[in-house]
Amino acid sequence: MTKNLRVKKSNLIDETYKVSFKFNGITYYGYKGDTLASALLANDIHLVGRSFKYHRPRGIMTAGSEEPNAIVQLHNNTSRTEPNVRATEIEIYEGLEASSQNCWPSVNFDVGGINNFLSPVLPAGFYYKTFMWPASFWEKYEYFIRKSAGLGKSPTEPDPDIYEHKYIHCDVLVIGAGVSGIVAAKTSAKNGYKTLLVDEKPYLGGSTIYQNSEHFKINNQISSSWLEKEINEIKKIENLEIKTRTSVAAYHGYNFLLARENLTDHMPLEQRKNKIRHRLLKIRAKKVITATGSLERPLIFDNNDRPGILLSSAIEKYASLYGVACGEKNVLFTNNDSAYETAISLYQKGINIEAIVDNREEIDSKLIKEIEKNNIKVYKGYTVVDTSGYKRINKVSIMQLSKDGQKVIGSKISISCDCLGISGGWTPAVHLFTQSGGKLKFRDEDQVFIPNIYPSDQISIGSCNGDFTLDEILSTVPKTLKEFLNLKKTDYEDLEIKSSFNKSKRNIWLLPSDKVIGKTKPFVDYQNDATAKDIKLALREGFRSIEHVKRYTTTGMGTDQGKLGNMHALGIIAETAGSKMGELGTTTFRPPYTPLTFGTIVGRNVGEYFDIFRKTPIHAWHIENKAEFENVGQWKRAWYYPKKGENMHDAVQRESKAARDSAGILDASTLGKIDIQGTDASEFLNRVYTNAWSKLAIGKCRYGLMLNEDGMVYDDGVTTRLDENHYIMTTTTGGAATVLGKLEDYLQTEWPELDVYLTSVTDHYATVSVCGPYSKKIVSRVIPDLDFSDENFPHMSFKDAKIGKIKCRVMRISFTGEHSYEINVQANYGKSVWEKCMEAGKEFNITPYGTETMHLLRAEKGFIIVGQDTDATMTPIDLQMDWIVSKKKYDFIGKRSLYRSDTIREDRKQLVGLLTENPNDVLEEGAQIVADMNKSPVEMLGHVTSSYYSPNLKKSIALGVVRNGKNMMGQKLIIPMEDKQINVTVADPVFLDKENKRLNA
Amino acid sequence: MFIINCPYCGEREQSEFKAGGEAHIVRPKQPTELSDDEWAEYLFMRKNIKGIQFERWVHTHGCRKWFNVVRDTSNDKIKAVYKMGEKPPTK
Amino acid sequence: MLNYTNAITEEKSYSSLQMKEIKPVMKLVIRGKKREFLSAIGKSLNLLLPTEANTSSRSDKLTALWLSPDEWMIYSNEILNSESNEYETENLLNKNISKTNLGAVTDVTDQFVLINMKGDKIFDLFETGSPFNFNDFRNKKGSVTQTILAKIDVIIHNQNQNEVNLFVRRSFSQHLFSWMNDSASRL
Ligand SMILES: [Zn+2]
Repeated sequence: MTKNLRVKKSNLIDETYKVSFKFNGITYYGYKGDTLASALLANDIHLVGRSFKYHRPRGIMTAGSEEPNAIVQLHNNTSRTEPNVRATEIEIYEGLEASSQNCWPSVNFDVGGINNFLSPVLPAGFYYKTFMWPASFWEKYEYFIRKSAGLGKSPTEPDPDIYEHKYIHCDVLVIGAGVSGIVAAKTSAKNGYKTLLVDEKPYLGGSTIYQNSEHFKINNQISSSWLEKEINEIKKIENLEIKTRTSVAAYHGYNFLLARENLTDHMPLEQRKNKIRHRLLKIRAKKVITATGSLERPLIFDNNDRPGILLSSAIEKYASLYGVACGEKNVLFTNNDSAYETAISLYQKGINIEAIVDNREEIDSKLIKEIEKNNIKVYKGYTVVDTSGYKRINKVSIMQLSKDGQKVIGSKISISCDCLGISGGWTPAVHLFTQSGGKLKFRDEDQVFIPNIYPSDQISIGSCNGDFTLDEILSTVPKTLKEFLNLKKTDYEDLEIKSSFNKSKRNIWLLPSDKVIGKTKPFVDYQNDATAKDIKLALREGFRSIEHVKRYTTTGMGTDQGKLGNMHALGIIAETAGSKMGELGTTTFRPPYTPLTFGTIVGRNVGEYFDIFRKTPIHAWHIENKAEFENVGQWKRAWYYPKKGENMHDAVQRESKAARDSAGILDASTLGKIDIQGTDASEFLNRVYTNAWSKLAIGKCRYGLMLNEDGMVYDDGVTTRLDENHYIMTTTTGGAATVLGKLEDYLQTEWPELDVYLTSVTDHYATVSVCGPYSKKIVSRVIPDLDFSDENFPHMSFKDAKIGKIKCRVMRISFTGEHSYEINVQANYGKSVWEKCMEAGKEFNITPYGTETMHLLRAEKGFIIVGQDTDATMTPIDLQMDWIVSKKKYDFIGKRSLYRSDTIREDRKQLVGLLTENPNDVLEEGAQIVADMNKSPVEMLGHVTSSYYSPNLKKSIALGVVRNGKNMMGQKLIIPMEDKQINVTVADPVFLDKENKRLNA
Repeated sequence: MFIINCPYCGEREQSEFKAGGEAHIVRPKQPTELSDDEWAEYLFMRKNIKGIQFERWVHTHGCRKWFNVVRDTSNDKIKAVYKMGEKPPTK
Repeated sequence: MLNYTNAITEEKSYSSLQMKEIKPVMKLVIRGKKREFLSAIGKSLNLLLPTEANTSSRSDKLTALWLSPDEWMIYSNEILNSESNEYETENLLNKNISKTNLGAVTDVTDQFVLINMKGDKIFDLFETGSPFNFNDFRNKKGSVTQTILAKIDVIIHNQNQNEVNLFVRRSFSQHLFSWMNDSASRL
């Protein structure tokens, strides 16, 4: 590099620590503390990317998170690649690799740049107009649009980094550590409030920390020195937590905020291992102080987007904070005093300034006087009308403004330059305030929106509240804090402040040009390539709502959400439509303030923590015995137990056969279990189940069906009467929590007079279910003290028992149709009981079976599974389960709905059995059922809900719901499949042992 | 996400609760006496107000108690919280 | 004889945090609304049930946690013998509460896994997965809360300075313990 653009030592830059990095494949050097942007500028690189639509060369524009142009891809083609990273925010580290986005084949030669010359045919709404019709062409358009659109590439490999979430509860959250935020945090923490101060930058102090001029003093010290002392003080306060590199992304109601704490992005990759990359802070603050500062506005003129055009404040920041000159021939263009602050700062550092162009006429400003004293030419009442230079600005053309600012007069003057700083005044960063639901008001005198109505316990202070100058801030902020924090006094009562800033400003949203607007490109939204011309076109085409104009022109819809140009868009709309800014309103600022990576949002909810899984007490045995698992609700359930060489079908056929021919054993621990106690327990069951419960004897079990109030089947299960006022209810595996919730709801809100207590004991018990002809022999060996004779222990009854000294409950109930027993034992003994059963059943070929076999066995018996054969549109009548609906009971949940006009319709879908013509054809669950394939359109009568090949019946069986199926017994129907039609006959859903003989076999 | 002041446990984050819809819809004592329309009124019809709404919440992940909340649905501000069976606040 | 297989077999130790399951510990949920219920419990167990929300009480043998206005959990302070699951306290309460229709008594010994946590990073771990505000809770010995940790329901009992008993349903316990270890490894 021949040019030396490093101008001075800086506190932030460690010149002893050289860092190498790559940009577009070329190695450069910077210093520790540099951002990618400052390091590139130090290497005289302005051109960093291409614009979205026209592929125009674009350069670094800002020095902060509002950057629209300098967005890069990091570590392309690696698992850590990340698109849309702002070069102005990323700190360089050894080994950083960044590349330009949205350009092909390279940023210097980009094929898409042709769009720039085609721009007359790419007006606002171009995509909407061109690609909407005909609809059938969309697929082709989409390919084209997707290829040319998009900013950067998303990674294709899993993210190797760790992200974490953290909840923080504090009394006061201060957002932004500029001069206002520092004053607020210190005041809050010193007065006993648990305070959190966050700032998105790696350093504290905002822009005041490099405000190094005799023109700005506090208590006779230069403002930056004064602030440095304050910062050193707050670091010692115990009650105050400070987090830098922490950007608040979202401000929700009830002072709930999300912030991203960036922990490793500034470190070399090899140092990041096992460290948390980002932490998403979920902050609950009693009070929020927003001190987010303000963003400098650009100025809108023809070709205002060339590389080398930066915000004037950014030029100052690069010079003062990073020690980098953005150019050797600088021109500043302004409508207010800010550019003179920059100019003085540059002058002090020996950076050359060619000229300053000021919209304003003669102004009495100390800053201007100092500049003029140093013989820098100031063009007063002038505007820039054009710039030139394709990949870097090399010239500005200026003309005099008319008195009313509507047009330019006189002749054009050209000034050659390599950098242009623009300053259009300041826009308060009210994004977070409006996200929280705050309402803005428009301040006419300097054309800004400022906070007006606060929706929660919060306050905005400093320049985000419209107080831009040091004297305004330091006289207002302490007063505001006193009131907001209920304080008698602060440390900042009698500060002596010197500020030479003259507040006058000449605001012209769209600067006039010597050309007609159609021939110009005054960019309003740099990232989305929306120009003032586009906005005017939208208005001509009849758009009026600001939200519509935004979407039509795509202004403010980039990853930067138009932080720079939104105000100008509003201004131009207001001027063109002849309405007032304050009445027009603003578009909505939505979270996140700056983009978040998915990793940050997801946190540790990845891999095994993606979802919760529950395990039964017997889980370890299933693992040891090579079970395959299926997810049922949150449970991991044994699905089937393949033996060597078996596939799922083989295993299930073997298990199903064994369960009926000898013995099967199932882990049923996942069933929901609710302990019901109280003197009104029987009455309660009467009200929640469709059948009657009062007469159930102690020690007996009964199957119950539970409906919703709309009459639809909600849950089912067996309930056992343990004692006069004590029942245990079982629910479906998936329904356990919701059933308990629903029952509590009725108890607490509808029937508080009932003396009933419900307690979940699902996890307390392991449930081992043994079925088959040898089940009795097996369980009686495991529990030798219990009399298992049919007389003492008939089907649908229960016994208290003991295995050794361990109490357990044994139920003789069956979900398979076989003679079977369920042993319920305290969970920590469950695995042992299971193993004892396996041991006792060894000689009887006891076979563990999983959920698939369980489903098959119950389907053979026509038992429903709620949620598989029902879907919240099935009444018990639809299920042909009329027998379980009590006619005698006056009321139960859902009863009235069973004879609404809709539920008594004959042609509702009803549950039936289906038998295939070819017994080897197994239907697909979910397949449609039709009667007539020739009818157009084909009428869908229903669908298959359960389907299996039954090894016990040696044929395919299925359950399905069919419109008016009840009356179609024996009728032939068709299941149309992709490659064939399967003929079926409607049958009784009970396929096996209609007489229930096997229960006592 | 709101902070809800459970009348039993105190202030907790919304994620500990579940909403249960409009409050003070009493289940008819004699459903069998009702016409289809009257039953449908109870079963399906809800006001869904923009503004002050009385609604039920349950502290699912805490004390498991149901209670009532007065919430302004236009800005989510909770105006009052009261137990089941208590009279709604008049102001 | 039946073998005893508890849920969490590992003890985990980090520089400022130790976690292990304590078992077997008897746990009962007791429910009741009547005044006589509270006094019957008091007499039977020589233990006053806490009536203030989010608090606990303790006797030599037992600790009672407030769970809701009509629900408490009682757990034994001592470790029991795993060879029997007959609990004296349960039998006593069945006789004095259930049989007299004063309220309900339910054995939840294996419904919940008790994870004992010691060390000064306990609450830092909780903050990575619980929305509950532990600022006051951590300074109040005996305080109790039911909340969510890593999307899982938990009951947390602040036993002592830097010591917490956490109760989680057994089926979730291994998942939660794994999650807690993952989080603890970064504290
Ligand atoms: Zn509660």
